[in-house]
Amino acid sequence: MKKILLVEDDELDVISVQRSLRKIEVEHELVTAYNGVEALDKLRGNQRNPPMNPLPDVILLDINMPKMNGLQFLSILRDDPLLKHLKVIIMTTSGEEHDRAVTGRLGVSGYLIKPLNFTNNDKRPDSMDGFVQFHLRNILANLE
Amino acid sequence: MKLATQISLGLFIAISIDLVDSYVNYSLTKKVNTNTDFLTTSEAIIRTSSNLNRSIIDMQNGLRGFLLSGNQRFLVRYESGLKTIPELLKQEKGLIISSALQTARLDSIKAIHNVWLTFANQIIDAKKKAIADPRLNNNYRKLFEEQTNLNTGKNYNEEITALFASFDQYEYDVRAKRRKALTDSIAATDRFSLFFSLLLIVAGSGLSIYLVRKITQRIDSMVKLAEDISAGEFPTVTDDKKDELTSLSLSLNLMSQKLSRNITELERKNDELDQFAYVVSHDLKAPIRGISNAVQWIKEDLPEEMSPSMKKYLGIIPERLKRMADLIDGLLAYARIGRGKYPREIVNVADLIREIADLVVPEGYQLTMKNLPVLSTEKILLEQVFGNLLSNAVKYTPQQGAQIEVSCSEHRNFYEFAVSDNGIGIEQEYHKKIFEMFQTLREKHDEESTGIGLAIVKKIIEGNEGTVRVVSSAGKGTRFLFTWPKN
Repeated sequence: MKKILLVEDDELDVISVQRSLRKIEVEHELVTAYNGVEALDKLRGNQRNPPMNPLPDVILLDINMPKMNGLQFLSILRDDPLLKHLKVIIMTTSGEEHDRAVTGRLGVSGYLIKPLNFTNNDKRPDSMDGFVQFHLRNILANLE
Repeated sequence: MKLATQISLGLFIAISIDLVDSYVNYSLTKKVNTNTDFLTTSEAIIRTSSNLNRSIIDMQNGLRGFLLSGNQRFLVRYESGLKTIPELLKQEKGLIISSALQTARLDSIKAIHNVWLTFANQIIDAKKKAIADPRLNNNYRKLFEEQTNLNTGKNYNEEITALFASFDQYEYDVRAKRRKALTDSIAATDRFSLFFSLLLIVAGSGLSIYLVRKITQRIDSMVKLAEDISAGEFPTVTDDKKDELTSLSLSLNLMSQKLSRNITELERKNDELDQFAYVVSHDLKAPIRGISNAVQWIKEDLPEEMSPSMKKYLGIIPERLKRMADLIDGLLAYARIGRGKYPREIVNVADLIREIADLVVPEGYQLTMKNLPVLSTEKILLEQVFGNLLSNAVKYTPQQGAQIEVSCSEHRNFYEFAVSDNGIGIEQEYHKKIFEMFQTLREKHDEESTGIGLAIVKKIIEGNEGTVRVVSSAGKGTRFLFTWPKN
């Protein structure tokens, strides 16, 4: 049973990940947060909720988000002694050099650029669902 | 200082040197002339003094002959001397008027001669009387002996000879001095002439070299500026000379600055356009992707809940979304042409066509290639042209018996490529229209066809100073011909 924390503001991408996870039929637990602040609240706990236990096996992190973006979240995470070791994979539509450089410096296990192409065949890795399925399968397989 | 002033100043200096040269030459020549005149005069003096001396001697001889022989014939010489000597004295006096010393000598000669004349006249008179009346011979004898005892004739002779000698000697001395002065002044004239000629040459060529170098240096720096500008750099030249070339330098500087500003502005606008293109491709396509996914999910998750017409209408959405995404891509591709610098590489056109055909020409289409060259060019652009033309050919040629041919003919400065098919063809009236944006001859829903492909082809080819044209008629296939530069 793998635990995944998805930090993503786009409902569409959240649904895509949920559907893809269902399709690849790997036993998992998916927690979603819509921005960096919410993700930190879930990891560290707040007045209403206790800290997350167990911690996720992997965090799928978007970069462009409101309140606290992916880069800020990653920076805080890496400064937190309890959370700094967590495995993070970036999933974004941004291929900007600056984002790549910052995430590279802070340490991530992968940098995936979501495709914007359109094909009618969902099995192909360059469609949205195909892409998510393909990479989730790899990520989960490599979590041992 | 203005250049014109400098050039005038240079000419002025050269002319001044020339004038000084002429003046010095003139005065030296005058000196030479003076000396020559003097020598001529001196020769005349000596000549006259010789004549004078000879005349005096002749008179003496005449007197002596007459006294000894009593023959009156001897007196002819004496009498001619009486006439010529005053004349010669007067002449000589005129010649030596500037020398007091010589005038004094001449006066002494004249005085002694006059004394002698008095004596000679007396004795001639006595002798003549003695011949006429022998009684008076004693008178003559007495006078003659008296004078002989006194040595009058001899003294007189010696004195006058000495005077003539010193007179002539003086003249010779002065002449020797003057002759030396003459030689010296001629030599001096030669020397000065040579010196000034050299000075003129040195000063003239020095000034010319200075001015020419000064002008060429300035022009060189401006030429370099122009070269830098054409190489895409925009420096300025420093010029504080304040002459005619300065205004040219300033104009060049202004031009350079203006170009630099304009190009910076152009680069800024290009960056803006790039940013715009990114926003378009990213932010405009993201919602399309969302819609596409949602439709996909509906079809996957709810197949049983949908009525046939729902399914049908839902089926339209992905197609139209795909078309919209293609339009966005096409627009971006069109906007990007000619803005980027593409690397040049050696392109084997046959290989390039094979690569493109792998992507756009399906099985069942027969592709032939004829005389395709290897050339150095911007591969990406040529690839886009062929890519669009080949996919166009495929799009408008039914698969049954489809033949596509790519060929090339070589001209002096360019190649002319042809992409031909045996497809549906294009009617004459559309030949111009097809190169315009969004002109597609198909029904909109028939197949994805944005109508941008040929606009891109035209823009690339014309950006490369080439031309593109189409030869076709309905049902007879289509042949696109375009030129491509050789280098």
